Amino acid sequence: MSTVVEMLNVTKTFGEGSSIVKALDGVDIRIEKGEFVAIVGASGSGKSTMMNLIGCLDRPTAGLVKVAGEDLSELNDKKLTSLRNLAIGFVFQSFFLLPKTDALDNVATPLFYRGVPAKEARKKAMEMLTKLGMADRHTHQSTQLSGGQQQRVAIARALVTEPSLILADEPTGALDSNTGKQVMDLFEGLNREGITIVLITHDLDIAKRAKRRITLKDGKIINDERDVA
Amino acid sequence: MNILIAARLAFSRIIATKTRSGLTMLGIIIGVMSLIALVSVAQGATSGIQDQFKGLGARNLNITGTTNQSLTTDDVKEIEKLSGIEIVTETVSGRVTLSSNEASTRAQIIGVDQNYKTVVDPDIFVGSFLPDVTNASDARLIVLSTTLASDLKLDAYSIGSSIAVGSTEFTIVGILDDADGFGTRGTAYIPLETAFKYVAVPPYLSSITVQTTSEEIVPEVTTNLTALLKARHNITGEREADFVITDASQLLDAIGTVQQFLSLLLGGIASISLVVGGIGIMNIMLVSVRERTREIGIRRAIGAQQSQILTQFLIEAIVLSLVGGIIGVIIGEVVAYFLAQLGQWNFALSPTMILASLGFSMFVGVVFGVWPARTASKLKPVEALRFE
Repeated sequence: MSTVVEMLNVTKTFGEGSSIVKALDGVDIRIEKGEFVAIVGASGSGKSTMMNLIGCLDRPTAGLVKVAGEDLSELNDKKLTSLRNLAIGFVFQSFFLLPKTDALDNVATPLFYRGVPAKEARKKAMEMLTKLGMADRHTHQSTQLSGGQQQRVAIARALVTEPSLILADEPTGALDSNTGKQVMDLFEGLNREGITIVLITHDLDIAKRAKRRITLKDGKIINDERDVA
Repeated sequence: MNILIAARLAFSRIIATKTRSGLTMLGIIIGVMSLIALVSVAQGATSGIQDQFKGLGARNLNITGTTNQSLTTDDVKEIEKLSGIEIVTETVSGRVTLSSNEASTRAQIIGVDQNYKTVVDPDIFVGSFLPDVTNASDARLIVLSTTLASDLKLDAYSIGSSIAVGSTEFTIVGILDDADGFGTRGTAYIPLETAFKYVAVPPYLSSITVQTTSEEIVPEVTTNLTALLKARHNITGEREADFVITDASQLLDAIGTVQQFLSLLLGGIASISLVVGGIGIMNIMLVSVRERTREIGIRRAIGAQQSQILTQFLIEAIVLSLVGGIIGVIIGEVVAYFLAQLGQWNFALSPTMILASLGFSMFVGVVFGVWPARTASKLKPVEALRFE
């Protein structure tokens, strides 16, 4: 098994002097390929900071963060951006589809940024929309789709780049419980195909669907439990 | 990211925000429109004058004597021997009283030789110009300007009737069209030989007009003429010559300068409005960047490089200014066309002017788009994503 995310004694602080805030305080984690991990914690526990680090959106103040084998501290903005594009598939709470853009181009956009020719990118995007049962909606813009449909498009966008991991931030937070359940079913199915999934959530019921739960409190890991296979 | 995709994105945004984009472009549209219209007015109005002066003959050199006895028929014989000369015509002039049956008036009368018609090419209103009467020493024929004819209460039917020059009867052979050309107003023309008999003293001439073989050699011929006449008139050293040589090129140069100045002035004023339009674009782009902070965050998260965000916003600014520019050119040319109708000058589409206007509006888009685009590209992904 290869390691997808590795954190060693990671500290992240915000602010300076007396108003300094430690968002993460000496965190160690290792997430292997094919895992389905939920990172759980109340607001202010440091889980957003954790997500930003795993998502290569930020660098640690101290300690080592390796994503897909790359040490984030050694990467400049350009390389960090490329790493995000290659290694991470983001799924957000509010879907974050691009406005004024149809579903097909929304899914194809990460490939556009990678420099894949438009025709090929759209072909792959269409395949991914088909896989998620959204093929007949590929010309719709986000405003013409329901919440559940938008999240499916967003998941297709996350998967189209064949990333090292899917990083989902409260992916069911804006959905009704039934649609939320369907999205979690989808994640479970994807994980069975071997796709690594990291879920950030405060909802323990959702976290239970993962195979491993890491609990954060005040920037420290207080629990790390795995389902017994 | 593919430039085409960025351009398509820019277009769809402009269409999606029609009202705002339209108002933003308005600044550029008005700027380019006034640039095109004003410069075409400057060029149209002055080229009309230029064409009129060209009618005088760009190949012609006019020599006038500063005294009554400066130029002589012998001078003409020598001038004809110079190289680069196509044809020479000589005139004498005097003031006389002209009388018809119903009226009389004082007028300038000019005696012209048979070459005058070729060199000056006067426009005839009715009848004909003086015929070749080189060998008839007493051909009492006269051509009048329209002004003069009406002063004498004559009309188109008066051709063939006679009027008195002083106390001598002359037959009217033609009336000139005063509207075109200069200096014909209030003037009568008679054959040179006849003039020597009644109104002037031989061999003295009042002016000599030389037509050169081409426009380019006008300066060279001027130099040669000056040297020849100075030598013949014994004018040496610092003494002032007793003749003046003028040509149309000086006048044309002056008009050209006026045209350039006018174009620059009006174009400059229009450019200011274009710059103001550019500031409008910058303003709206800055608002747009702020409004779309989260979109920028999403794009950065899924792998857009700073340079790709910069390109996207820059292209949007350029598309705005260029579309505005194209609309401005179209409206500007329509306005220029109607102004040309109004001012009665020729309307001509100037490709240079159109390309320059489009280039300038694109340049405005780049200059005023860079700052907003840079602002967009420098947003931190983490903060941009969190932006509500």
